[in-house]
Amino acid sequence: MPKKLLIVGITIILLITLAGCRENPAGSKLKTLDDLKDKRIGVLLGSIYDEYANKTYPDATVLQYKSQSDLILAVKTGKADAAFFNHESSLELMRKDQELAYVGENLYKVPVGTGFNQENDELREEFNQFLQQLKASGVYDDMVKRWISNGISDMPKIDNPKNNGRLVVGVVSDKGLPFAIVKNNRIVGFDIELSERFAAYLGKELLLQDMEFAGLVAAAASSKVDMIASTIVITEERKRQVDFSDPYYELGVSVFGLKKNIARYENDQALTPEDLENKRIRALTGSAGDNAAMVKKPQLSSPLGDFFNSIKTSFYSNIIMEQRYLLIVDGLKVTVIISLFSVVFGTLLGALVCWLRMSKNWGLQAVARVYISILRGIPVLVLLMLVFYVVFASVNINPVMVAVIAFGMNFAAYVAEMFRTSIESIDKGQSEAGIASGFTPWQCFGYIIMPQAVRRVLPIYKGEFISLVKMTSVVGYIAVQDLTKASDIIRSRTFDAFFPLVMVALLYFVISWLLALVLDYIAFKTDPQINRSKGGIGA
Amino acid sequence: MIKTEQLCKRYGSLTVLKDVSTEISKGEIISIIGPSGTGKSTFLRCLNLLEKPSGGSIYINNVDLLAKDTDVPKIRQKMGMVFQSFNLYAHLSVLENLTLGPVKLLGKSKAVANQKALELLKLVGLAEKALNLPDELSGGQKQRVAIARCLAMEPEVILFDEPTSALDPTMVSEVLAVIRRLAKAGMTMLVVTHEMEFARNISTRVFYMDEGIIYEEGSPEQIFKNPQREKTRAFINRVRSFNYHIDNPNYDLYAMNAEIEAFCEKHLLPPRVCDHILLLVEETLLLQTDFSDISLNLAYFEKTGHLEFRCEAAGEPVNPLQEGVQSDDIGLKLIQSRIEDSQYRYENHKNMLFFKVKGE
Repeated sequence: MPKKLLIVGITIILLITLAGCRENPAGSKLKTLDDLKDKRIGVLLGSIYDEYANKTYPDATVLQYKSQSDLILAVKTGKADAAFFNHESSLELMRKDQELAYVGENLYKVPVGTGFNQENDELREEFNQFLQQLKASGVYDDMVKRWISNGISDMPKIDNPKNNGRLVVGVVSDKGLPFAIVKNNRIVGFDIELSERFAAYLGKELLLQDMEFAGLVAAAASSKVDMIASTIVITEERKRQVDFSDPYYELGVSVFGLKKNIARYENDQALTPEDLENKRIRALTGSAGDNAAMVKKPQLSSPLGDFFNSIKTSFYSNIIMEQRYLLIVDGLKVTVIISLFSVVFGTLLGALVCWLRMSKNWGLQAVARVYISILRGIPVLVLLMLVFYVVFASVNINPVMVAVIAFGMNFAAYVAEMFRTSIESIDKGQSEAGIASGFTPWQCFGYIIMPQAVRRVLPIYKGEFISLVKMTSVVGYIAVQDLTKASDIIRSRTFDAFFPLVMVALLYFVISWLLALVLDYIAFKTDPQINRSKGGIGA
Repeated sequence: MIKTEQLCKRYGSLTVLKDVSTEISKGEIISIIGPSGTGKSTFLRCLNLLEKPSGGSIYINNVDLLAKDTDVPKIRQKMGMVFQSFNLYAHLSVLENLTLGPVKLLGKSKAVANQKALELLKLVGLAEKALNLPDELSGGQKQRVAIARCLAMEPEVILFDEPTSALDPTMVSEVLAVIRRLAKAGMTMLVVTHEMEFARNISTRVFYMDEGIIYEEGSPEQIFKNPQREKTRAFINRVRSFNYHIDNPNYDLYAMNAEIEAFCEKHLLPPRVCDHILLLVEETLLLQTDFSDISLNLAYFEKTGHLEFRCEAAGEPVNPLQEGVQSDDIGLKLIQSRIEDSQYRYENHKNMLFFKVKGE
């Protein structure tokens, strides 16, 4: 135990040290937007910027990131030289992060709208009327002022009779301020208030489905949600999949990068404490010495105390502030629930497939063979999306259930073969002896073969189980808020990569470890060597 | 008690059992002997349907085993089986191996089953191993546990499928002793075995199986002392034989010699004896005049160490062993120095020569 903890500790320290070692990646500094032409430009996956970036800077490398926090992290760690981002969200970012600065602001404006299934003209019309009314009443201007201009992140109270059913709206909770963030374990933001007000206008109860941005359009197109509202830029391509409302906002597009890589900040000596901090870490790890910083701030010379201080700060901002621990706890619950149910479902299905595979009937055997090779040949994420967006396209089904089905199906294909191997490894003589003494084939399997097969399969089963737990980290794609998604949301708020990631890594490790312990316990229980000592004679 | 009619079993084109019809009554102890691959085990395994017969019928206590509505597992409960490879349940202790069947199948309480199991373990001398796992026992101990496991089901008949074949010689006797004890107690048993002395001592009846049928059956006296049929005799006396056929004067002497050498090597005959045989064969062939149909046969009696050589040649009757027939007697002298006894007969238009080859 202490040894394990020590290893984990060393790993964390190494990670942080490595992070401090990052070098200035840019060859030349960015003066104008034209300098981007041969650089690495980060964009959000599924956003419209990649097209723009590709067209405007054909020689540049366009890198796509899954979430805004990944995008910002990429710029900060020098993986991308600059990033395209909507201006409104970047305002909040610039307020928070002194390391970053604009290369260009508000390059152009793009209209955004809410999206609807193409069959659902009625709802779209209602939204357009609602939008007109909102603008006429001045509420819209007030919303823009509060969320976008002033950066206030509180939701007002909205009266809603909730007597007209439900309105399911697909949103992206880590979109970022001012549009959507998670605060005190609740999704808030401009898009959310808009949805709330629309729901109130309809008298419907609002149900928010938190998804990945890339999955939004598909969700609306397959009627998984009634409406999607996540500052979606209206493009021709998207129009083919969904119908858009009238534009409700004009989004600015800005480019930002690291301040130190931008020419006009070259002489900017106003170092923030954070900058000093970074330089100090660099000095400590010996990559880019800055003795001046050390001399200037001698009180920082206790590295360990400082390390714990920064951990404390990170802990506060990532866990305590805005009750973010609730996110983690909920995510943890979802991850554990999906893991456990998938394992149960997958094991039962796997047993069935194994039975078919071992059947003497050629047809049944073929079914099992095909099932196993197909399911093993599809990446689990693809399978997950297929099940969600294709198989259950028109069925109203809880995404957690979809996750359980998809992971269970995948798990079944692997464990079926494990079961078969372990059953076949029990020598045939024992079942012959059972049959000869009058057991039916099923009794023989239950009393003689299975207890031994279970014991043999447990070690590999355990490994597969643990890998399943980790595989569940992709459920964010179908709007399930699990542990990984929780950390994404936190990162989108705090712009702190290391703490949430390391914490989530630790939590996954702990879950896997605990679940493995449970299986070890079962293995212990089924060990005949241990059992016989208590199976006394007179019992 | 057990009756089979025209029982046969085929695996694809291979016929293992051709036509086995027999009747076994209560209290009989049947030993089934015979060379390997002649269907002894298959016959036994057909009796409790571990192998499904391809034809014929089996009656156990007048119940047709192959009828659709027969409760086969129920009948199997009354027919214990002991396997060559023991087949103990590896995950259960010795005691649990004995109680699993009685508890799950006969509906006995655990306490009753345990008590009975311990008695049986005492009977086979393994009470102190009750809580051990099968893997911790020696082969002989495992087989005794397997027998006790059978007895725990209170069977009416026990089928032994080569119970000592997988044991090393030091452990054979402990298992045989247990089986003898059962025999004394009057248990009906069918034993497939290669232990001839054992078969002779305990059986009430012996089946010699060959060619997919019960080739010869009778009391142990009959079968072991005075077997009627040739294959039975060869088997009982453990005769190993070698045949070679020549149909023209230009036969390949060296190929034949190589085969004879291989035969000698296989049966561990000393090189000197082998040389005797080679010379004997060669000289005998030199005495022949008609090469259109010559059969050579070497028979090695493993039990006694005898070696016999027989040469049958078609043609006019002529005894080459008679002095004066040949131009010189060198060949004859060479032959005589290497044999103990010789005979000549003319039968079925064939000159038959018998030699008893000298040992070392």
